[in-house]
Amino acid sequence: MYDCIVLGGGHNGLVYAAYMARAGRKVLVLERRHVLGGAAVTEEVVPGFKFSVCSYVVSLLRPEIIRELDLPRHGLEILPLDGTFTPMPSGDYLWRVNDHARTFREIARHSRVDAEAYDEYGRAMVEMARFVKPILDMTPPDPWSLNPRELARLAFLGRRFRDLPGPDRYNQVQLMTMSATDFLDQWFETDVLKATMSASGIIGTFLGVRSPGTAYVLLHHYMGEIDGAFRSWGLARGGTGAISNAIAAAAREAGVEIRTQTSAAKVLVRDGATRGVVLENGDEIEAAMVASSLDPRRTFLGLVGEDELPGDFVDGVKRYKFRGSSGKVNLALDGLPDFTCLPGAGAHLRGAISISPGVDYMERAYDDAKYGRYSRHPYIDIVIPSLTDPSIAPPGKHVMSCFVQYAPYHLADGTWDDHKEAFGDTVVNTIAEFAPNFKSLIRHRQVVTPLDLEREWGLSEGNIFQGELSLEQLFFLRPVPGWANYRTPIQGLYMCGSATHPGGGIMGAPGRNAALSVLGKTR
Amino acid sequence: MSRPIIIGAGHNGLVCAAYLARAGLRPLVLEARDEVGGCAVTHELMPGVRVPALTHTVALGADVVRDLGLDTQGLHVTSPAVSVCVPTKDGRALVVPRGTAAAVRALAPWSARDAERWPAFVASTQALTQAMGAVLGQVPPSLDAPSPSEMWVLLRAGRKLRGLGRQGLYDLLRWGPMPIADLAAEWFETPALRAAVCARGVFGMQAGPRSAGTTAAWLLQAAQEGHPTGAVTVVSGGPGAMAAALAVAATSAGAQIRRTARVARIEIDDDGVRGVVLDTGERIEARAVISGADPKHTFLQLVDPVHLQPSFRQQVLNYRAHGVVAKVNLVVTGLPEVAGLDASGMPIEQALAGRLLVGDEPDELERAFDCTKYGRMSDRPWLEVTVPSLTDASLAPAGQHVLSIYAQYAPYRLREGDWDSGREALGDLVVSRLAEVMPDLKSQVLAGEVLTPLDLERGYGLTGGHIFHGEHTLDQLYAMRPVLGWAQHRTPIHGLYLCGAGTHPGGGVTGAPGAHAARVVGKDLRRARA
Repeated sequence: MYDCIVLGGGHNGLVYAAYMARAGRKVLVLERRHVLGGAAVTEEVVPGFKFSVCSYVVSLLRPEIIRELDLPRHGLEILPLDGTFTPMPSGDYLWRVNDHARTFREIARHSRVDAEAYDEYGRAMVEMARFVKPILDMTPPDPWSLNPRELARLAFLGRRFRDLPGPDRYNQVQLMTMSATDFLDQWFETDVLKATMSASGIIGTFLGVRSPGTAYVLLHHYMGEIDGAFRSWGLARGGTGAISNAIAAAAREAGVEIRTQTSAAKVLVRDGATRGVVLENGDEIEAAMVASSLDPRRTFLGLVGEDELPGDFVDGVKRYKFRGSSGKVNLALDGLPDFTCLPGAGAHLRGAISISPGVDYMERAYDDAKYGRYSRHPYIDIVIPSLTDPSIAPPGKHVMSCFVQYAPYHLADGTWDDHKEAFGDTVVNTIAEFAPNFKSLIRHRQVVTPLDLEREWGLSEGNIFQGELSLEQLFFLRPVPGWANYRTPIQGLYMCGSATHPGGGIMGAPGRNAALSVLGKTR
Repeated sequence: MSRPIIIGAGHNGLVCAAYLARAGLRPLVLEARDEVGGCAVTHELMPGVRVPALTHTVALGADVVRDLGLDTQGLHVTSPAVSVCVPTKDGRALVVPRGTAAAVRALAPWSARDAERWPAFVASTQALTQAMGAVLGQVPPSLDAPSPSEMWVLLRAGRKLRGLGRQGLYDLLRWGPMPIADLAAEWFETPALRAAVCARGVFGMQAGPRSAGTTAAWLLQAAQEGHPTGAVTVVSGGPGAMAAALAVAATSAGAQIRRTARVARIEIDDDGVRGVVLDTGERIEARAVISGADPKHTFLQLVDPVHLQPSFRQQVLNYRAHGVVAKVNLVVTGLPEVAGLDASGMPIEQALAGRLLVGDEPDELERAFDCTKYGRMSDRPWLEVTVPSLTDASLAPAGQHVLSIYAQYAPYRLREGDWDSGREALGDLVVSRLAEVMPDLKSQVLAGEVLTPLDLERGYGLTGGHIFHGEHTLDQLYAMRPVLGWAQHRTPIHGLYLCGAGTHPGGGVTGAPGAHAARVVGKDLRRARA
């Protein structure tokens, strides 16, 4: 007999389970696949090569979770990933690293003004991130409620905003509403700098760098911290799955039972309250509480059923937008790519390699997607994790992870199964334009389309954040207005996945916030 | 006590002048051009034929009309029964009447589902826009340090919003930041109807239907016109007749209007505003100057930078006002046939009395927008057309008609070429596009004129050619228009005020910015006198 069943063994489901178990609840986690972690998994697709198949870098994982669940003791080790290298068609490049003086000199090579603005920009963004951070850890207030608790939460936000210094308040408003390029235009003049910086504003969204609302996503990517260092990115030793495994180990230690290759077919509901779940094999497991880390479509339209829910809630779930826009190409390589603009296997290959040579390039990539085709010249974020973590590839060999945008879930012609390999070719050819030796290095290629993300990893419409991070789907509007407090119209049924505040990425905050909220321990 | 100076006799400057005059302040209005009205003017395109040069519909607030007694000053307006007509590629034409019951009947042949949802859509929109009305009708409060009376305004607005009910409040919060294309798709399936909704969200904006925040712009339009796909209000004698009525209201209350008096700069010393200097060198003293010009023109052209904090000046520089609208006015020998209208069962004179939208699905508007991102004129612009001569026979001789056409998108800044050399091509492009739905048009054109965004800047003083004095985006509306912290019509310079469309609630011929500004200026001047 369990107190609580958690649907989905992704990182948020596991975090939720761990916190509930540590509070003395008896918890069972059900994972459909053979491997834990959801989209945060490591899989040995080719013998000897371990791919972080979906999610591939870590930055946003909440430090409280690392501390409270003691993840390093459970095997989590994060290796720093330094720098972003952007090759340009002109034969030049832009290479930003964490070393301040070097980055200053490098940007000054393109524009002296921008080099100076870059410092100021970094400071302003850190201030903004500092403003937003406490909001990540709160249960969103209900703007309708007159409950003093909810009003206090709203007042807390108002006060925080008012206490910001004038220029920061101005930046904050702009960040919430502007486009990434409009925002960056105010600071910088170098096209390639703006392009490669704006890229973090579109990750996982169905928006272009010139679409209003993308500036906020820029900020989202500035909130990462590793060991107290702001906006640094890292790789988990052993691949992204190591994060999930560490959380799972912490959860098991707290008494959580985890079953893989077990999926729920139905959430049992009687008299408006949940009674447990029915498995695919017909078995029933009873529990007074069920927490779903699946997205709202799968949870409510799939497992609960429309009939059990109020009509306006169902409307809200149906309106919730997914529209996946990205794909992944994972490669097993015999050697390292040699970039024409900066030959050799230097340190520039150890960080992120960003195919984002210009603002127009990025915007045209989006134009393709708007009308239902994958980008002919996509934005690609490349990482070669085996350079930092040799344990994931055979000696001398390498693993390359290519995050690709745009790959719209809804295609105007044909299906993703028809286009899968051609899409992979487009990605490979795009990279080969900058690194001609690249094609001959490929030993194996794994293409992950939005349709694959949906079928294999359970992400509706292939959205990596379990729903778009657009303003109308954030904070007290996520996932359904009025239901942002991790609760649902069914008593005892909770949400704890990326579709809840504060959203996607390997952050763990939805799982932790949900657990603390259910336990009555939130602010 | 010197008289307050108002820069610009656009409709907002005139409204402000009329209110201040009625408060006994005898303002002096300085207008650069030789006619009043700003963007609301009627001019003669060829002998005997007059056209609305720029704006072709008005949405003056009922309170402004009443307060200033405009109906007794000869203002006569007509509101046709049709909201919008959208000819479609399959040779039909969707006509949406203003009345809800008539619209349901008109929509039924297109989609039973859309017809069924229409009344709920109208009701939701009206509930939201009416609640917004409480907000739009007030000077935005300071968010930093609201005074007790501002807190009262906020509370009242809050109560009004609560009156929407739980669902209504969530709708407002959710809709505001949405792309208008998503909102239209949530409600309707007919592409032409979706396009009609989208067009109101992107009109005048450097944004496509898929751009976030266009639903807020749409709500603002819907609040002004009281209809989700827009309602046309035509002034008899053209918009210039409205400007004339406003001028009479102002002067008869004690205001003075000087034409061809172009303000070159505003004189400022340590105590604030001292007066203005005209381009002739003439100086006029004043302790209060109220600028109806857009924020960029006011602060970047008329004020010496030494008087502004660099951070404020930077914010004004960053204020977005990239115009995307061109205007084409045509005189035609007869009312052009519109493909597909016969089947609608409505006489063409009625069907065309509202707006005609050329662009029959949201993606057509979106594709037109794409070009602006790369600094090019749309290959296939979308058009908003009115035929003012249908409601006002005085504009053209019997049989002839005038077509007033807004074409979008014509970006102010072109990557190649310039608008002076591109003007003819723009005119041809617009006529060809319109000829797609009016097959005989080309043979019917008697005369025409083309106003590019550059012409809007040079001829009408609109910086960047932006018809709203700056984008209606979330970060440039309400308490943030034009700049966060300066939305109360006051500026960092003591005695300098703004009263144009660059202040809350923004562009469109509503007169609200002018009326609000008059309230603020009147209060300050009374206090100074006391």
